[in-house]
Amino acid sequence: MKIAVAGKGGAGKTTVSGTVARALARAGHSVLALDADANPMLGVSLGVGAEQTDLLLGVRQGLETGEVEHEPTIEGMVERFGADAPDGVRLVVASRIDGDSPGCQCCGVSPDQLLRELEDGGRTVLCDLEAGLGTILRLAPGNADVVLVVANPAAKALEVARRAVAIAADKTEVIVLANRVRDDADLETIRAAIPDRELVVIPEDATIARADRDGVAPIDLDPYSPGVKALVALADRLAGAPVPA
Amino acid sequence: MIGKGGAGKSVISGTMARVLARDGRRVLALDSDLLPGLSLSLGAGPDPAEPPLNDAAEQDENGRWRLKKGIGPVRAVKRYATDAPDGIRLLQAGKVPKDGLEPIMGSINAFYRVVHRLPDARTFDDWTVVGDLPAGPRQIAFGWAPYADTYVAVVQPSAQSALTARRVARIARSRDGARAVFVANRVTGPADVRHVEEMIGEPVLAAVPVDEAVARAELLGFAPIDHAPDSAAVLEIERLVTALADE
Repeated sequence: MKIAVAGKGGAGKTTVSGTVARALARAGHSVLALDADANPMLGVSLGVGAEQTDLLLGVRQGLETGEVEHEPTIEGMVERFGADAPDGVRLVVASRIDGDSPGCQCCGVSPDQLLRELEDGGRTVLCDLEAGLGTILRLAPGNADVVLVVANPAAKALEVARRAVAIAADKTEVIVLANRVRDDADLETIRAAIPDRELVVIPEDATIARADRDGVAPIDLDPYSPGVKALVALADRLAGAPVPA
Repeated sequence: MIGKGGAGKSVISGTMARVLARDGRRVLALDSDLLPGLSLSLGAGPDPAEPPLNDAAEQDENGRWRLKKGIGPVRAVKRYATDAPDGIRLLQAGKVPKDGLEPIMGSINAFYRVVHRLPDARTFDDWTVVGDLPAGPRQIAFGWAPYADTYVAVVQPSAQSALTARRVARIARSRDGARAVFVANRVTGPADVRHVEEMIGEPVLAAVPVDEAVARAELLGFAPIDHAPDSAAVLEIERLVTALADE
């Protein structure tokens, strides 16, 4: 299965991706976490550590700088460039922009290409997309089995989520996450912006806020906090099998 | 204005632009985000339905984009910028429609070319330009803000936000003649400011407090300076404008 996670920057894509990936792995799934953001931060919410995440090499840069020999297959790239995260999750950073005037983004290996060409091969591929709508616009049917659109209660985030849902729904299954919901008013605000859709509610959660502040995985701080529990339940649903406690 | 998504770039850009305009400066606000952004925080309402600048560029016989004859920064601002409160002119790239980038390619290309000619347009010598860039490092690295002499990296007290701010500031500083400063946003007290400064490895120029009234303005899509002009957050952004001018 291939899952992509989309939304406005700051909506909580990376926290959702990291926590769902860990929950799936704990349930016994083989999980490949693909960080498709040019500002790759998925390692932080997976529990790799903030400074360690900052050092991870992107597949694209690894190939360009010749730090490894030519690697012709996508699987080979995953093997060579991946890093191990807790619970057996394999983390791959597609590309990172780290300096002025990086190479042409149309050439070389791209995050879209990795998402397109990676076979699920019995594992679960979970892809944290770059903020905004670029990658889902380029997504073709079959590139992802499900897109998680993360919406938090703020005017601009809702506008981005609304557009993401409209774009992705033509191509694949979409699940909308109402993230950081404090009360009924927050939920109503999200429902008004994205009507006629089931909303998976992720409540505002002090554990997630603390994890975000300190750069650790929320699931390592408290797997039973309300927000983490909601994400574990989502992983359960995605996997189609109960996740053992 | 640069930083991670959700750090508060648009809110700080929009409020800074308004403060500068009220101080009597002529302000050009630039929004190169292809997602909804600066307009709401400026108090200029929702984004226009039609992509601005879309007919300002054309493709030559080889498919390469260029500005149409007679269109430079001055005419672009005159013809395609819209009015925002306090006399601000707002020029923005088109926003991504449902059916892909194709319908706004003219707008994107025209915007990119106009901002590249902005530094040489003498008309704007006495203007203050406030540009709001989209999340992450992409546009800084690809030179979407060639007019900038100062990059303001907005960082909230979170590890991801700090790593991002550190990275985008490093890229900005590698550009000729540009400086970068850090502003902490949504801090709950001195411990948050210390936390941010430890993570980025240097002091911040200002620390904007977390503010329920500003959060409310963001929820509703209003400009903080209209919705909560006396809030602690707006006062700190006023102080930031002074500090930037003094540096």
